[in-house]
Amino acid sequence: MKLHVADYLIILVYFAFVITVGFIIKKKIKSSNDFLSSSRNIPLWITSLAFISANLGAQEVIGMVASGAKYGIMTVHFYWVGAIFAMVFLGVFMMPFYYGSRARSVPEYLFMRFDEKTRGLNAISFAVMTVFSSGVSLYALAKLLEIILKWDFDVSIWLAAGIVMAYTFLGGLTSAVYNEVLQFFLIVLGLSPLVIVALQDAGGWAAIKANLQPELTHAWKYMGNPDANPMGLHFMSLIFGLGFVMSFGYWCTDFLVVQRAMIAKNMGDAQRTPIVAALPKMLMPLIVVLPGVIAIALMQPALQSKGYSIPVSADGQLDYTMTLPSMIAHYYPSGLLGVGITALIASFMSGMAGNVTAFNSVFTYDIYQSYFVKNRSDKHYLLVGKFITVAGILISIATAYLAKGFNNINDFLQLVFSFVNGPLFATFLLGMFWKRTTGHGAFWGLLAGTAAAALTHGLTVAEGKGGWIAELYTIKSGMGQAFIVAGVSWIANFVTTITVSLATKPKPDHELKGLVYSLTEKPTYTQQKWYRRVVPLGILLIVLTILLNIIFF
Amino acid sequence: MSKRITELSFIIGLFFTIVSLVLLIGHFMSDLLASSKNMYAGIAFLVFGLFMILITKKE
Repeated sequence: MKLHVADYLIILVYFAFVITVGFIIKKKIKSSNDFLSSSRNIPLWITSLAFISANLGAQEVIGMVASGAKYGIMTVHFYWVGAIFAMVFLGVFMMPFYYGSRARSVPEYLFMRFDEKTRGLNAISFAVMTVFSSGVSLYALAKLLEIILKWDFDVSIWLAAGIVMAYTFLGGLTSAVYNEVLQFFLIVLGLSPLVIVALQDAGGWAAIKANLQPELTHAWKYMGNPDANPMGLHFMSLIFGLGFVMSFGYWCTDFLVVQRAMIAKNMGDAQRTPIVAALPKMLMPLIVVLPGVIAIALMQPALQSKGYSIPVSADGQLDYTMTLPSMIAHYYPSGLLGVGITALIASFMSGMAGNVTAFNSVFTYDIYQSYFVKNRSDKHYLLVGKFITVAGILISIATAYLAKGFNNINDFLQLVFSFVNGPLFATFLLGMFWKRTTGHGAFWGLLAGTAAAALTHGLTVAEGKGGWIAELYTIKSGMGQAFIVAGVSWIANFVTTITVSLATKPKPDHELKGLVYSLTEKPTYTQQKWYRRVVPLGILLIVLTILLNIIFF
Repeated sequence: MSKRITELSFIIGLFFTIVSLVLLIGHFMSDLLASSKNMYAGIAFLVFGLFMILITKKE
């Protein structure tokens, strides 16, 4: 793939714009709240698009296209099972607690609801996870640019990190959020022509269905038997593992995405943020799953004359992660090629900036201010927030080089993240809806859930991974193993939290007002028009999602 | 006007308008970019960019 002047010009224009956004927002930064939590002053359309854009990192864009090629239309489960329901639940039931409690972060909510040790455990694990995720994202960007454009690895690392640092340092969270919205439009509009052109080249959806094996074009039909579908999953594992544990664990508790709703102007907008975001999220498979399905269809005998094929890795296997870059190279002429490459770069930078801004909020509020330096001036915390932004970027760069030296570190980090994230939703579910839950119960439940996740992974093996304690049970696919690990860890957390809570003293009711469902005044929506009320909107989204699942059954 | 150019919708609109001009001017001026894909994408980006600029609230 070779870029020309017009392509470089588009990339340069993009870099200039994201840095300009930083300078524009800088003028509005007066306090630590402005820098770290946008002073809760961001309009709904921006918080909603930032909400899904924070999740629209490169792993999502490139990874979902790769999954589309590998597993076919079943990949839509990550959206129509693994996202929409949890986003609606977050908006209707959980945002009133996050927003109404005036907590500045998810760990701070845990402090208010439970105690300091539960906040500390969540804050430290989250801070470590986000900063390492940011580094892995940076490594992946530099590696991709090295492979497809022959750019120097070091230059890519420092250039991308430098630009993200510039706009996050200048404008903090608001700057990151504004750029996430720009990145959202760039990714959607930059990749849309690819879908249209490739779909036309393949002869339309009817031709794709005619040329592919039926299990690649049906989302549910072959899920009754794990051996009959490419993911190797039974539908019950999918519904419980992905649709409940992993989905709700991510969308309802991960501060990286929840933070985007917490900066809305008022409670109504905070609740509407994930719900409005769910609509584009529902349609996102058109941009990130369909290209993968088209790619694998183009490799079938009847369509081989089109001249496209997914690249092959050194071991002779299809390199699915290169599906999207190779399609861009195949279909985009110079000019549009610059737009496509910029969209890829934007997705990496979006993921990195999201992680860094979530990291600096949690580190400043929940670690530095809580454990090290209390009761200092606001100016002090603003300076610390800016310093932590720089430190977070530098740690990300160090992680990227670590990942370059040790290939397995990416897998290892993803594994550790899943151990920590898997059980988290049980803590929030019990904390928000059962007032008897105690701080001790939450803390030991989290530890038990994480330990159960590690143990399950150590005793099961899938695609050569896991089984580091003993190979007691074999699972067909790595994805199935991930769902089972998440499910076991959730149950371990749920049971431990209840058991320990029943044996320990709960907080009195007056300390739990605004933090627990039964003790919180419910928001009233009766004076609003139906399309501004979260419940009718949520029901509408769920009905649409069910319809999509039926259409692609 | 000065406040208007700091609105996000204006910034997004301006970005896509510039990108569309690169594609459209390139399409008509350079053989390398003379692809109908560039022209159609350029027109779509221009329409979107101008729309975003137009909906920006006047301060």
